[in-house]
Amino acid sequence: MATSDIGIIGYGQSVYVKRTDRTLLSFLAEAARNALASAGVAKQELDGLAVSSFELPPDNAVTLAEQFGISVSWAYLGTAGGAGPVASVIAAKRAIEAGQATLALCLAGDNYDVGGHYRLMDNFNRALKNYATPHGFGGANGLFGIIQRKHMETYGTRPEQLGRISVGQRASAVLNDNALLRTPLTLDDYLTARIIADPLRLYDCVLPCAGAEAVIVGPLDRAPAGKGVRILSGYERHNHPPGEPAPLRGGWELFRDALWRDAGYEPHDMDFVQAYDDYPIMVAIQLEDLGFCAKGEVGAFLGRHDFAWNGSLPLNTGGGQLSCGQAGAGGGMIGLVEGVRQLRQEAGRRQVKARRGLVSGYGMVGYGHGLSTSSIVMERTQ
Amino acid sequence: MTGGMSAYPQPHADADNHPLIEGWREGRLMIQVCGGCSHTFFYPRPLCPYCWSAELSWKAASGRGTIVSFSLVNRPNAPAFFAEVPIILAEIRLDEEVLLIARVIAREASSIRSGLPVELVSGPEAARYPLPTFRPRQ
Repeated sequence: MATSDIGIIGYGQSVYVKRTDRTLLSFLAEAARNALASAGVAKQELDGLAVSSFELPPDNAVTLAEQFGISVSWAYLGTAGGAGPVASVIAAKRAIEAGQATLALCLAGDNYDVGGHYRLMDNFNRALKNYATPHGFGGANGLFGIIQRKHMETYGTRPEQLGRISVGQRASAVLNDNALLRTPLTLDDYLTARIIADPLRLYDCVLPCAGAEAVIVGPLDRAPAGKGVRILSGYERHNHPPGEPAPLRGGWELFRDALWRDAGYEPHDMDFVQAYDDYPIMVAIQLEDLGFCAKGEVGAFLGRHDFAWNGSLPLNTGGGQLSCGQAGAGGGMIGLVEGVRQLRQEAGRRQVKARRGLVSGYGMVGYGHGLSTSSIVMERTQ
Repeated sequence: MTGGMSAYPQPHADADNHPLIEGWREGRLMIQVCGGCSHTFFYPRPLCPYCWSAELSWKAASGRGTIVSFSLVNRPNAPAFFAEVPIILAEIRLDEEVLLIARVIAREASSIRSGLPVELVSGPEAARYPLPTFRPRQ
């Protein structure tokens, strides 16, 4: 996907909370209102709407337009779990380039808690409901424990290497008032935390919570001066490789070369990486398959980097899902919003010297693993 | 042990998967074979995921396989499992070269290793579990 003058002109986030009586719609509305303010756009100007949310049914993008009182010429319902929000931004950019809309609000969020997460996963799709739930599979934790062990046994990846992801991100979360977990975390804390699904321990797992994220896609000249974020490239892939329940890859490797070619940059040119962090092992696999290191060598790569906002590779600089919480499908947009915030130089005490960065999505757990991947490279406008 | 059986979440039987569910009630692991391309596969589908043929038949797998990888789940998804933790959840490669995710029953979870040969549990023990379930090969 080539760059154009259609990019991200605003962003917004709701408060994140562990439990709430508020409705999902109120979280989506809060994120949307903040995104409008950030973009300097009036609600009546929106004519595109995308939403990614597990708990939204029986509502959808069109009934959400009714709830929000907007009439749109483009509506998109994310279907790719945590890869859906980044995919929705790719689709919004194309829709606007094609003339189908002019300003699109892309939303993602959920409100659930730990119990709600298990209910969601038990009924996530027919294959899981019929062939995993009756085994007591433990939701995503049980499945990703299988993947992490396989990576450890195939490539020699060690917990003390993976833990550097959780520890580095927590150092950034300490500076994020909207992170639910913001007490400092040591590698020893990580390694000795209680076991959830061996080899996964507590700080390998996200805290299900309530929250929402939003961006507005539109002509970059509509952004406040100096605040537009150019999308240099973007790709997605679903169900790769077919037929493997627990692969050590997910599709990034198929579009990696095109992603960097279109962007005109290489991995080492990125000032930050906002990678989908449902588990550190999946961040590690993204780093491998997006070209930050060779396949199977991520353990050593993790060992020589510091992933805090001020470290050698700023990673999930707001703390990511591992520290902020996972607001369902909002987890697929939290990195995008943080990336836009960084490129607009609005990240406060955790501001990275950011000119450009990578955002990557992953999700829609099927029979054994996440089926969907998506990535974009973005750059600040001067 | 009908109490345990009824407490576990059950698969939903439909026209595509009932041979699997009914076969397991008799202790067999049924997998599908494609008449178009000869691939075998799991989980049940109305079309061959390799060639999209609808010319499918069922066969009983040998019931033997090998653990590829596994996790030991301390927080399962339903209360019926809470007294049985850790749940041994494994990716298993059947001798027929089909990969599936299934539960393994073992007295000592610490004895489980990747590469361990496994076989279907049998008899009254099999009747406890809603889906084909394995144990270390004896």
